[in-house]
Amino acid sequence: MFRNSYDNDSVTFSPQGRIFQVEYALEAIKQGSAAVGLVSKTHAVLVALKRNAEELGSYQKKIIGIDSHFGIALAGLAPDARVLSNFMRQQAMSSRLLYNRPIAIKRVVDSIAEKAQVNTQHYGRRPYGVGLLVAGVDKAGPHLWEFQPSGMVLEYKGAAIGARSQSARTYLERNFEEFENVDKDELIKHGLQALRDSLAQDKELTSANTSIAVVGVGEDFVLYDGDSVQVWLDKLGETRSSRRRAEEEPATTEATTTETTTETTTEGAAGSSTEGQTGPGGPAGPLDPAGENMDTTE
Amino acid sequence: MNHFPEGWGRPRDDVYGAYDGSHLKTVQPGAGFNQHTQSPIVTGTSVIAVKYKDGVVIAADTLASYGSLARFRDVERLKVVGEKTVVGAGGDMSDMQYIFDDVLERLMIKESYSPESHSPLLAPHVYTYLSRLLYARRSRLNPLWNALLVAGHDEHDKPFLASVDLLGTTFDGPALATGFGAHLALPLLRKLVPNEEASQNVTKEQATEAVKAAMKVLFYRDARSIDEYSIAWVTPQGVEQSREKLENQSWKFAERIRGYGTQTN
Amino acid sequence: MTSIGTGYDLSNSVFSPDGRNFQVEYASKAVENGGTSIGLRVKDGVILAVEKLVTSKLLVPQSNRRIESVDRHAGIVFSGLIPDGRHFVSRARQEASSWRGTYESPISVSTLADRMGGYAQAYTLYSSVRPFGITAIIGGVDENGPQLYMIEPSGSYWGYHGAATGKGRQAAKSEIEKLDLKELTLREAIKHAAKIIAVAHEDSKDKEFELEMTWVGLEETGGKHVPVPKELVEEAEKWAKKEIEGDDDEEDEKMEE
Repeated sequence: MFRNSYDNDSVTFSPQGRIFQVEYALEAIKQGSAAVGLVSKTHAVLVALKRNAEELGSYQKKIIGIDSHFGIALAGLAPDARVLSNFMRQQAMSSRLLYNRPIAIKRVVDSIAEKAQVNTQHYGRRPYGVGLLVAGVDKAGPHLWEFQPSGMVLEYKGAAIGARSQSARTYLERNFEEFENVDKDELIKHGLQALRDSLAQDKELTSANTSIAVVGVGEDFVLYDGDSVQVWLDKLGETRSSRRRAEEEPATTEATTTETTTETTTEGAAGSSTEGQTGPGGPAGPLDPAGENMDTTE
Repeated sequence: MNHFPEGWGRPRDDVYGAYDGSHLKTVQPGAGFNQHTQSPIVTGTSVIAVKYKDGVVIAADTLASYGSLARFRDVERLKVVGEKTVVGAGGDMSDMQYIFDDVLERLMIKESYSPESHSPLLAPHVYTYLSRLLYARRSRLNPLWNALLVAGHDEHDKPFLASVDLLGTTFDGPALATGFGAHLALPLLRKLVPNEEASQNVTKEQATEAVKAAMKVLFYRDARSIDEYSIAWVTPQGVEQSREKLENQSWKFAERIRGYGTQTN
Repeated sequence: MTSIGTGYDLSNSVFSPDGRNFQVEYASKAVENGGTSIGLRVKDGVILAVEKLVTSKLLVPQSNRRIESVDRHAGIVFSGLIPDGRHFVSRARQEASSWRGTYESPISVSTLADRMGGYAQAYTLYSSVRPFGITAIIGGVDENGPQLYMIEPSGSYWGYHGAATGKGRQAAKSEIEKLDLKELTLREAIKHAAKIIAVAHEDSKDKEFELEMTWVGLEETGGKHVPVPKELVEEAEKWAKKEIEGDDDEEDEKMEE
């Protein structure tokens, strides 16, 4: 039933010093739909792909506002994210009540990191099964942090988590140098372009399945959901992934990378209702700094 | 008058009569009845402060009295918190030491754990923190017997000055004073800065002069004061602090005053 | 590890027939995979440095600090599971704070090391927890001058003049042994620290790394544990690079002879 005798709980090290239960928790993130975050000098943006369990059902919330100066996007177990977001709201409110000061993004991210770590060291607990992107603005400007169930938190200029997020990450890695100096609209567009690249072959961004949030220096956190997303999709223009476009219109100039082609095959097999099952993972090395111990299935 | 720390926050005995605590004695000892501080022991007197164009000047003398005895003559009642905030305290000196050496030290150490200071700790934050602390303590009927002034700047580098007392009462203004100073010094300081706008046209020298004059009056008139005081100037650039001694004292007027000392008639 | 798979390594707090606690040994494996950390105790203070492996170019440079302060006068650097290290640091801060509550003075570094050694040890005692996957180096100054300690997952700790842990610890140790630590000043030692981390990184040269360095000096930093100023770090890195290239040249020359 178990892959080996060291993966039953989070209080057992493998002979290589790995904690499999924590690594499996990281896999739970990849079961969730993709979320992308990115920052410029003045703004931080979150975009995410929502999923509905059935056609007539509503879409699962992917972006949650925490305080007027920051919010999160999630991938993985939504109930776990709700526990963490409630905790962050408490932290944020207590900062305002006790100090009359909006909490620094790093401080609130560290607080959930510490909470998550405890779950990886005590028997009878399980690690959180959710990854978060925390985007916000404080006195030092815009920030984007990634949180992982291992308790690892890292600050990024751009990050993507969830199913097929590798494609979005590839986009970010190719374009992040531009982000710094673009305006709000342009930054959101970059975010949507990254998210678009992570779409399954038969999907496209719609006002129903896309969430956008933005926060800036002197601008409160704003969440665009439903109809209000359409404006941004119109600005984006093309709402299908570059892969699909490449297939349908072979003449398109946009290049198809080798890695994305590989994904297309695996995703095609997985089918749309179970999307993400075999998708690529999040960034390597949550626990081990070398990033070598990770079970990277990409 | 309600200017001595023992009287702070109490219904005045001369108006309402002494508090009748007889019903308390009916409570069985150990039945969960608890009595906390009823009065301060070693006390410090007034703290006064004035806002000016680009900062705040704040002063407090260095005496800690034991009743009417001038018990400790060199007690620092101004505390620099971080780089740009000064807290001044009157009232119970052991409670002040708890606030200065324990509460505020911890606060500063915690703050130093984020050296990148994504949101620096400024005077309004220190003030909010202290006001929450004092209010929480009084709500537990176990007050920290102090009156505090917090001087510094807000995030737009505008001078900040506010007060909180043992009841958790908070207010701010261009000139503030606690204790005896609230009665005797404040009217003098308000001549210089009657309102917020006025303080924006006051120079450091003018503000300093007013504070020094007020400290002099307080020394002559407040029997719980001493002729040495600490004075500090807070600007966005930082804190400058010095010790002053009242020179050229003249007690000639005392000769004509009768009714105290050996001459009782 | 001959006893792997015999069942004695599946739970913490269990001895094998030959008297080993395997889970603690496995925790040390996690340490050996982490980026190299070092601590140098010199004449006028202590330096802590760490090799931060850059896992993505999207990471914000200079953010994501790995060396943390405890009270004002001490710092902790660690190799291994980073979240474990964070928790360890937070416990150390609580210890320092509780000491202050009682004595109204900073905790001595040796007491801090002792308390944290005890804390780590407690996580080897019960099957309901796992040991810390980190080795921590604690440096600071107190009434006895500069102090340096290293705490292992087992909870054992020793005082050091120079300490190294993590992936490149062997290379780092042999570099440290070349130094006359008792005679070095902080200003000189930051250069050596930069070199030691660079040398320790040689084995994983294909990956980029970022050097993070803090210090606490009696005079230099007024007894406070703070990051080494950026200009000084850059200068030290430059010196280290030159120095390493020089060493290589010498070796090449010898080879030619």
